Amino acid sequence: MKKIWKGLLVTALTASMLAGCGNAGSQPGNAEGEGGAPGAAKSVKLKMFIAQPRLKEHYDKYIADFVAKEKAEKNIDVSVQLEMPTADNAAQILKTRLASNDAPDIFALHAINEIPSYYKAGYLEDLSDQPFVGKLLDSVKPSVTTTDGKVVAVPLETLSWGYLYNKTIFADLGMTPPTTITEMKAVIEKLKANHITPFVLSYKEAWIPQLVLPLAAGALINTENADFIERMNKDEGSFTEMKAMFDIFDLINANGTEKATEVGGDDGAAAFAAGKGAMWLQGPWYAETILKSNPEMDFGVAPLPINDNPEATLINLSASTSLAVSKSSGNKEVALDFINYVLDDQASGGFFQALKFNPISTVHTYDSYPWVNDATVFVKEGKSYQDPAIPQSVKDEVGKGLQAYYAGQMSQDDVLQALDKAWKSFNKVNK
Amino acid sequence: MKPSKTTSLLITVMLSIGAAVSFFPIYLAVINSFKTQGEMFRSFVALPTEIHFGNYADAFEKINLLGSTLNSVIISVLGIGGIVLCAALAGYKLSRTHGKLSNLIFFLFVASMLVPFHSIMIPLTRMAKSLSVQGSTYGLAIIYIGLGVNMAIFLYHGFVKSIPRELEEAAQIDGCNEFQTFFRIIFPLLVPITVTIAILDFLWIWNDFLLPLLMLTDSSDFTLILSTNTLFGEYNKDWSLILASLVLTAIPVIVIYSFFQKFIMHGIAEGAVKG
Amino acid sequence: MPVKSYKKYVSLFGFVAPAFVLYAVFLLIPTIGGMYYSFTDWNGLNRSYEFIGFGNFAEALSEDPDFIGSLWFTLKYVLFMIVLQNVFALALAVFIESRRRSKGFFRTVFFMPNMISTIISAFMWTFVFAQVLPQLAEKTAIAFLDQAWIGDPNVSFYSILIVSLWNGVGYMMIIYLAGLQGVPQSLKEAALIDGATPLQTFRNVTLPMITHAITICFFLTLNGAFKVFEVVYGLTGGGPGRSTQVITMNIYEEAFSNNFRYGYASAKSVILFVIILIFTFIQIRVMKKREVEA
Repeated sequence: MKKIWKGLLVTALTASMLAGCGNAGSQPGNAEGEGGAPGAAKSVKLKMFIAQPRLKEHYDKYIADFVAKEKAEKNIDVSVQLEMPTADNAAQILKTRLASNDAPDIFALHAINEIPSYYKAGYLEDLSDQPFVGKLLDSVKPSVTTTDGKVVAVPLETLSWGYLYNKTIFADLGMTPPTTITEMKAVIEKLKANHITPFVLSYKEAWIPQLVLPLAAGALINTENADFIERMNKDEGSFTEMKAMFDIFDLINANGTEKATEVGGDDGAAAFAAGKGAMWLQGPWYAETILKSNPEMDFGVAPLPINDNPEATLINLSASTSLAVSKSSGNKEVALDFINYVLDDQASGGFFQALKFNPISTVHTYDSYPWVNDATVFVKEGKSYQDPAIPQSVKDEVGKGLQAYYAGQMSQDDVLQALDKAWKSFNKVNK
Repeated sequence: MKPSKTTSLLITVMLSIGAAVSFFPIYLAVINSFKTQGEMFRSFVALPTEIHFGNYADAFEKINLLGSTLNSVIISVLGIGGIVLCAALAGYKLSRTHGKLSNLIFFLFVASMLVPFHSIMIPLTRMAKSLSVQGSTYGLAIIYIGLGVNMAIFLYHGFVKSIPRELEEAAQIDGCNEFQTFFRIIFPLLVPITVTIAILDFLWIWNDFLLPLLMLTDSSDFTLILSTNTLFGEYNKDWSLILASLVLTAIPVIVIYSFFQKFIMHGIAEGAVKG
Repeated sequence: MPVKSYKKYVSLFGFVAPAFVLYAVFLLIPTIGGMYYSFTDWNGLNRSYEFIGFGNFAEALSEDPDFIGSLWFTLKYVLFMIVLQNVFALALAVFIESRRRSKGFFRTVFFMPNMISTIISAFMWTFVFAQVLPQLAEKTAIAFLDQAWIGDPNVSFYSILIVSLWNGVGYMMIIYLAGLQGVPQSLKEAALIDGATPLQTFRNVTLPMITHAITICFFLTLNGAFKVFEVVYGLTGGGPGRSTQVITMNIYEEAFSNNFRYGYASAKSVILFVIILIFTFIQIRVMKKREVEA
C-alpha cells in the first residue's frame, strides 16, 4: 500500500512538472509547419548551421534571396533558422546536435578534416546527382569527394597557401621567394644583415605550428614518398620518414620573433602587418585581419621550401568550409534547392565575391585578390598538390607536439613517436 | 575587537594594495573600451586622450544589447526563483528528517555537485531535445533549476540546522500544517542564505557559457555572454569592441549586486539575531 | 507506527519531489547516461557501438600518459588553490570585517572579479599577460613583469593560479564574511577582556565558530579546482603542448577534438568523478568532526 501511494505521488508530481516543462518548451515550435495545409502555400522551416559569424550579413542576404526565389518559383514559404556559433565551438556543438538526433538540415563542415568521419558515420546525403556538381572546378572537386567517389558537399572556402611574405620588404632588397631551403637561408641572412627579423612566429594556438606538417608532408608525398598516407592507414609507415619537416621548422624558429607561444593568430597578423617580420607561416585566410591592421600592406603567398629539391616547393590546395545536407533531413527538397542555389548561375558570383572566397566554379568570373593570383600562378605551372588526407586527430597532435618542441619540452623523436601513436589510435578507432 | 592604530593602518594599506591589484584588469577594460584600436595599442594603461563612444555604439548593436539582456534576465529570474523555491523546501525537509532515505537523497544531491559538466553534456542535450525544452529561454531556465538545486539544497541543509526546532513545534501546536509552517515560519528565517544562494546562482546563470551555447540555437534567444562571444572572431579580435561589450555585460550585474548588498547586510544581521 | 512512517514519507516527498524530479531529469539521468557510455566504444558520431567492459578505464589508467600527466597537473593545481584561495579569502574577510566605513567598498572591489564570466576574464588576462605587462615592463623597466606569462610552462602555472584566485577569492570571501557575522560580538569581547590577544581570540573563538563556513569553502574550492576548465582554456589552451592541460581539458579534447571517442572520454570523466568523490568524502569526514553544531 505504502509503495503504491508513493508511486502514484511521484508519478503525479512528475507528470505535473513535465507538463510544465512541455508548455514552456513548446514556444519556439520545432514541430510547426512541416506539412502545411493543402492548397495554401507550403511552408518549410530549414535549419542551417554555419560557423562563420563574421560573415553573417552576407549569408543572411543570400538566404533571403533564396527564400524569395523559392516562394516565386515553387510557392514554398521557407523560413530559415541559421545557427552561427564561433569557429572554436562549432565542432563541439555540431557533434552534440548530431548525437542527440537534432541534425540541422544543412551544415557546414571542414572538407578535408571532417567529411571522411561524418560520411562514414552516415550523416551526409549523397549529392553526386545534383546539378551543382557539374559546375565545380576540377581542382576543387576532389576535396569534397569521398574515397568511394561520391560528392557529399558543396565547397565554399578553398585555399591555396604556403606561407605569407611581405612584398615590400622583398622588393626593397631585390629578393624573390626562395625555391630551395639553401636559398631560404640566403634570404634569411640578407634580411638579418638589413636588421629585419625574417619570420613572425605565432604558436599560441596549436593549429598554427601544425601548418608545417601538411606543407612538409604534402611536398614529400608529391616527390619521394607517394604512398605515405596509404601505408600509415595500414599501420605500416612511420613519421620518422617525415623527419625532414624539422629542418625548415628549426630554421624558421631560429630566425623568428620572440615569445612565440604567447602570440595568437590575430597578434601575429598585427605583427606581420606592422612589418615586424618579413615572412609568416600562415595562410591567406588572414588577409582580412592583416589589411584591417594595415590597409597599405602588400603581401603575397609563396610555397614553402622544405629541402633542396625545387620540385618539392609546392602550393597546398585544399577546401575548408563546405556545406553538406543531412541524411535525416525532413526537408530535403528545399535543402537541395539551397545547395544548388549556392552555385546559381547568376547569384553565386556576387555571393562568393562578397564572402571574399576564391572562385570554385565555372560560374565564378569575378577578379580575385592579388595574393590569390600569386598562388594561382604556381597552381597553373603544376606546382601544387591536394592537401594530404592526414586525420584531424593527428593534426591536433602535431600542433601540440610542435608547441612542446618549440618550448623545449619534447625532442624531435618524441614528437614523431607521438604522431605515430596518434595515427595508430586513429586507425584503431576508425577500423 | 579593536586593533591598535598601527595595525589598523597596516590593514588598510594591505587592503588598498590588494584592491588596486584586483581592480587593475577592470580598470584596463574600462579605459580601453573608450579608446580607438590604434590608441589602445600605443598605450594600454594611459587614460584615453578623448572619450570615444564608438565602441559602445557598435557593441550595443552587434550584441543586440536590449534583446540579449532581456533573455538573460528571463532565464536568471525564472531559474533562481525555481531553485530557491524547490531547494528551500527540499533542503529544509532533508535537514529535519533523519533516516536512511532522507540521508540517501541528500547524499545523491550533494554527490551530484561533483559531476563534471562535460560528462553529462551529450546525454543532457538528448534529454532536453526529447522533452522539447531545447532552443527556448524558458526551457533553459528549467534546466538550470535541475542543475542548480543540489548546491542550494546543500546550503539550505546546513543553514536550517541553526534554526531551533521549537519554532516549528509552536506553529504546529497553533494548528499550522507542515507547508504552512514552512512558508510562514521557516522560509522568512532562510532569507540570509536565500540571498546568498540567489546571488551565487545569479552569477552562475548570468555568466554561464557552455549550457546556453548548447541549448539556444536562435541568435534572438542568445544571452548576453553568448552574444558577446560572437565578437571573438575566427581570425580577428577587436579588443576595444570586446571590452566595451564586456563593460556593458557587467553593468547589470554590478547594479543588481549593489542593490542586493543592503539585503545581504540586513538579512544576515536578522538571521544572526534570531539564530 | 506504520501510519506514522507513511505520513512521514508523504511529507518528505511533498517537500523533496519538485527539486528531485527536475534534478533527476536533468542531472541524475544524464549522469547515469554518461556512465553507461563509459563502458562502450561509442565515438559520439557513429550510430552503433559495442560494450567493452572496463576497457576504457584500463586504457586511461595504464596506456595514456597524457591523461596521467593532466591528472598530476590538476592535483597540483587543486592543492595550491585550496591553500591559497582559503587563506586569501579568510584573511580578506577578517580584515574587511574589522573596517567600519570602508567595509562595503572593499567587499565590492574584491567581489567584483567574481561577477565577470570566467571565460571572459581569462581572455582579459590573456590580454594583460601578453600585451599590457610587457609594455609596462618596457616603460617602467621592471624586468620582472616581462615574463613569458602564458607561453612558458613553468611560469604559466602561476599565471593560471593568479587568474583563478582573482576570479574565485571574492566568492569565498563572501561566505567567510557571512560566517564571521554569525560570531557573537559579545564572545569576542569577553575573550579580549579575559586578556586574549586578537590572534588568540581569532584562533580560539572565531575559527571554531566559523568551521561550517570553512567546510563549505574547502568543499567548493576542492570541487571547483578539480573541474577547472575555462580559465585554462582561455589562458593557455592547455599549452604549450600539453604542459598545462587539466583533466577536464583532456576529457574535452578526447570527446570533441581528437577521434571523438565519447565513450572513452566518459570513462575519464567517471574517473575524475570518483577522484573528486573520494577527496570530498575525506575532507567532509575530517572537517565535520570539528564542526560545532550551533
